[in-house]
Amino acid sequence: MVTQVFEIIGAPILAFIIGIFFLGLFRKIIARVQWRYGPPIIQPFLDLIKLFHQRGFSHGPIFDWGIILSLTGSIVLILFIPFGGMCALSSSGGLLVILYIMLFAPLWFALSGGEGANPNISIGISRKFILALGYEVPFLFVLLTAMSYYKTISIVDIVNAQENFHWALFSPLFLSGIAYLMILPAILGVRPFDIAGAPQEISSGPAVEYGGRYLGLFQIEHAFSLFIGIALFVDLFLGGGGNPVTFFIKMTVVFILVVFIHAVFPRLRIEQALRYLWRWPVAFSLLGLILVLVMR
Amino acid sequence: MDRKDVKKWVKEPGKMGHKYSFWVVYFCTGCGIIEVPPVITSRWDAERFGIIPAATPRQANLFLITGYVSLKTLRPIIRTYEQMPEPKHTIGLGSCPINGGMYWDSYNTIKHLDKYMPIDGWIAGCMPRPEAIIVAITHLWTLIDKGMAKGYVRYREQYKYYRANQEKVLGRLEWPPLFPIKELKAQNG
Repeated sequence: MVTQVFEIIGAPILAFIIGIFFLGLFRKIIARVQWRYGPPIIQPFLDLIKLFHQRGFSHGPIFDWGIILSLTGSIVLILFIPFGGMCALSSSGGLLVILYIMLFAPLWFALSGGEGANPNISIGISRKFILALGYEVPFLFVLLTAMSYYKTISIVDIVNAQENFHWALFSPLFLSGIAYLMILPAILGVRPFDIAGAPQEISSGPAVEYGGRYLGLFQIEHAFSLFIGIALFVDLFLGGGGNPVTFFIKMTVVFILVVFIHAVFPRLRIEQALRYLWRWPVAFSLLGLILVLVMR
Repeated sequence: MDRKDVKKWVKEPGKMGHKYSFWVVYFCTGCGIIEVPPVITSRWDAERFGIIPAATPRQANLFLITGYVSLKTLRPIIRTYEQMPEPKHTIGLGSCPINGGMYWDSYNTIKHLDKYMPIDGWIAGCMPRPEAIIVAITHLWTLIDKGMAKGYVRYREQYKYYRANQEKVLGRLEWPPLFPIKELKAQNG
């Protein structure tokens, strides 16, 4: 009981620290790829300090509450994700609940941004949801494959089944793993899929009207979404990790892979992204599903 | 540079945060904008000091006006400045915003930008080198440390003066006053 309370408080804090570290690593690696020195690795944290000391503009109650509720959705989602042996709400729900709650954060975020009444916001929101339409289909196939292979909906059981290097990536699930890797940049919203928050085209999309502490909350939400997308991949396909340290190392490796993809690719247009997402990842995940059903 | 001074961070986090995380709106009015790409890319990598270009004025806290200001661009400049969240700082780049520069006798150009909006510092030259922007940032750090970079406070206190000047050149402004118009205080720095 006491440990569960400890985990419920600790998991979001840990996710926050790791997410902010990832944001810093992101900027540093991009800088080194471009032959720059780059900001210090704690720069996103310094940005957060600044943003919370700045006055923000509000556009109404939904504008305020939407971003807070979106953050809440992410925090609740984090409680359901096993983090190297510790999982705050392990006994209830599993992958189905994760699927449900994954919608919360973008939905509330869209509602919050929509109050801003800036044309860039509506363009950004529509792009975000079209992109979500694109990656949700292969994502559902991937989760379905994992659930039918391990015959459980509990993500903790899936992690436990992969103990002693029986990683799902090297099992009949490898096709689904490849499909997840293909949609991972879209889930995290990095290039070539940073269509929703394109700073050069539509002035960072849904975040146009955010300033000051609203932007700070948005950054935290972004850090959480980075954490969630990568932690799900590590849990489902890389065996989860026996303790938080190995889990963190696995997450960092996957994240650096994603950053390298971000550093070298240009941004796709929305219809190109949809064509890609509905062709190759869906093909791989469907093949993976058939393979698993045949081999079972 | 005291970015690693933890004691200062604990003592006044807001001030230090503003010093080492400038998100900049580069307002491209004239030739000065050509000096900005070397500053933010690999040559004089300004991101070392946390300076990155902001996508919108709502997210920014530093406003860089690069080049001469015609009557037509003065209106969006004022609107952009008013949309930025406080605390915010402004720098004029090049000699044109300072006193008109080579457009000193133009009928269509603003000669002294600081009559229409508060400016925290100038970068003189035609054109200044890209390093000058980073030097200006270090000067702005000093000003923030001493509590002298208070342009946004000046704008709020003496809004009547600025508004009157804006209306004088632009005619009737179509947006309502940003702050309640107070009587002018005695000007003492």
